[in-house]
Amino acid sequence: MSNPVISPSNDKIVFQDVSKFYGEILGVNRVNLSIPQGVTSLVGPNGSGKTTLMNLMTGLVRPTRGRVQVLEYTPDEPEKLFAILGYSTQFDSFPKGLTGFQFVSSYLRLAGNDARTAEKLAWRAIERVNLVEAASRSVASYSKGMRQRIRLAQALCRNPRVLVLDEPLNGLDPLARAEMIALFRAVAAEGRYVIISSHILHEVDAISDQVILLSNGYVVAEGQIHSVRNEIQEHPAQILIRCTRPREFASKLLENEQTIEVRIHNDERGLLVKTRDPDRFYLMLNHMAMNGIEIESVAPADDDVNSVYEYLIGNEEVVR
Amino acid sequence: MIRLWWAQVRAVVRLEMKKTFFARRGLWIYILALLPLLLFLGHNFQISRQHAKLQRLASQSERLLSSEDLLSVQPGMTGQDVVARLGKPPQRFHWNDQVQSGNDSFVNIPHESYRYSDGRVDLWVDLAGDKVTNVNLRGGENLGEDTIVFAGVFQFFYLRLAIFFGCLGIFMNLFRGEILDKSLHFYFLAPIRREVLMVGKFVAGLLATCVIFVTSELLQIVVFTANYSPNVRDLYLYHNHGLGAAAAYLGVTILACVGYGAFFLAAGMLFRNPILPAAGILIWEAVNPFLPTLLQKFSVIYYLKALCPVDIPTPPGTPALLALLVSNSDPVSSPVAILGVVTVALLVLYVSSLQVRRMEINYTSE
Repeated sequence: MSNPVISPSNDKIVFQDVSKFYGEILGVNRVNLSIPQGVTSLVGPNGSGKTTLMNLMTGLVRPTRGRVQVLEYTPDEPEKLFAILGYSTQFDSFPKGLTGFQFVSSYLRLAGNDARTAEKLAWRAIERVNLVEAASRSVASYSKGMRQRIRLAQALCRNPRVLVLDEPLNGLDPLARAEMIALFRAVAAEGRYVIISSHILHEVDAISDQVILLSNGYVVAEGQIHSVRNEIQEHPAQILIRCTRPREFASKLLENEQTIEVRIHNDERGLLVKTRDPDRFYLMLNHMAMNGIEIESVAPADDDVNSVYEYLIGNEEVVR
Repeated sequence: MIRLWWAQVRAVVRLEMKKTFFARRGLWIYILALLPLLLFLGHNFQISRQHAKLQRLASQSERLLSSEDLLSVQPGMTGQDVVARLGKPPQRFHWNDQVQSGNDSFVNIPHESYRYSDGRVDLWVDLAGDKVTNVNLRGGENLGEDTIVFAGVFQFFYLRLAIFFGCLGIFMNLFRGEILDKSLHFYFLAPIRREVLMVGKFVAGLLATCVIFVTSELLQIVVFTANYSPNVRDLYLYHNHGLGAAAAYLGVTILACVGYGAFFLAAGMLFRNPILPAAGILIWEAVNPFLPTLLQKFSVIYYLKALCPVDIPTPPGTPALLALLVSNSDPVSSPVAILGVVTVALLVLYVSSLQVRRMEINYTSE
């Protein structure tokens, strides 16, 4: 993927030629990104640089080279940055002796809120992550999922414009995952920026407006999944067609120059077609349908994060 | 803005106080702070036992004795003279010594010891052949000597070791402890200036050390003065600068916490291993008297020593190096000393504020 030329912008999260080295170990290298509003997922295997990007964004680590800008602020000014940004980290440790409620309300007091406002905002955030009943218990007694949720509450409590969430679904049960995904979508729908890191691709597919694919500290692709897929020229697009007479339909398709390969589906009720020009292929399908061929459904078979990831990065340790 | 910073400082202090006061790893600091108090309590216990014994002895005397009565006994007096002045001794010991008078002959010389007390002072009168040969007064209140002992304990144990290592334990943990617990990011994710966070942590450390060490010092002074009779205590406190000295000790304790606290807060941010900076600062403070005048000013003990209310005399024959360590050859005035400690602390805190701005969260490298 070619790196876009980035100009500083006040409505985007911008990484400009950013590199981070931990001694001699590469964190990320020559990252150029411009992240718009909506849900953006950072996808990559362990050690690919997802957390480093998030820590750079939030000033927890400083770039070795380049600059980062989060809307109108730089991470060098935490007092301004965290007024608009909430970060749920992957660090699974908490200040000692605090209850869940105290954890969130103390954070709000640190932000300068008075006791009453802090209490109100803390309860509101705790309610959003469904942890009211356990809020008065010590965080030390929480399960992994509860700790994940209380961190989310902390990140959400000030209703930030930018929400950065490092593996936010880790440790959550399926119901809680669904709730959280709905919550992230709702936050994004309010016009906010939600940056999520994940190595679980089917969840990323469900959540994301755009993805950033990372591998070994490099950004290998960024953008909406569909456009990223379209840019991968060396892998033909795969299209799944459901129809009643697949064999007959397959022979007709092979007469067409856009078709590279046709496979009949195992259940004998569909075809998997490979084409290098999906747009012209879809046009051709429309013609065939109008000429009496019965087609039940047409859907791209590899226009998802899973396939894009496999094409670009290969078979590294990512849960599909 | 100032109001916001103040609210944030208070929020940091609230979070830190519980951790600082009740941390299990800080238990040794309390022990360190209470050691001199235990020393004075032990001394008081021993003195009170001695007083009780002397009271018993005084009550066994034929008549009520005063200190003037006891002081009136002089060598050369006869046993009868002594009994005439002080009455029959409540405790009396006697024995004979055989002394060779010629080649083969020995003479028995009767020896006696009379023991009297007025309830505070123990008087031993030794007689040989009915003549007073030795008068020995023990106990009583020796305020001058005791204040020097108190000053010695304060300067050489409390100030240079207890407060020094107590501040090390508390201030170094303000950042270093959070890094080891992997919880520092909690603060770094809040919309708070890092400098305000640092000030909040410093204030929390200062409050904790002041509460621990000033309380201990106050109790030491109370226990120290409780040793004396009300008359002597009043004389010491109100007519002999005792109250001023007590206030000076408390003030020096607070300033020591300010000075050492600033150094150790900075060290906690700059060094991973606390032993190295602690050893460095300890050596720097210890060799301070031997440094050139200009360098002496970049230490905490230089100013604190000048503020200590009682100078410790060096007896004749003290080795020159030790005498230099004890004496204050180039004392500065109290206002200059106070300003000096505060200035050194502010300079160190300024360096810390630059460092805290640059700090990163990278627990895996710790």
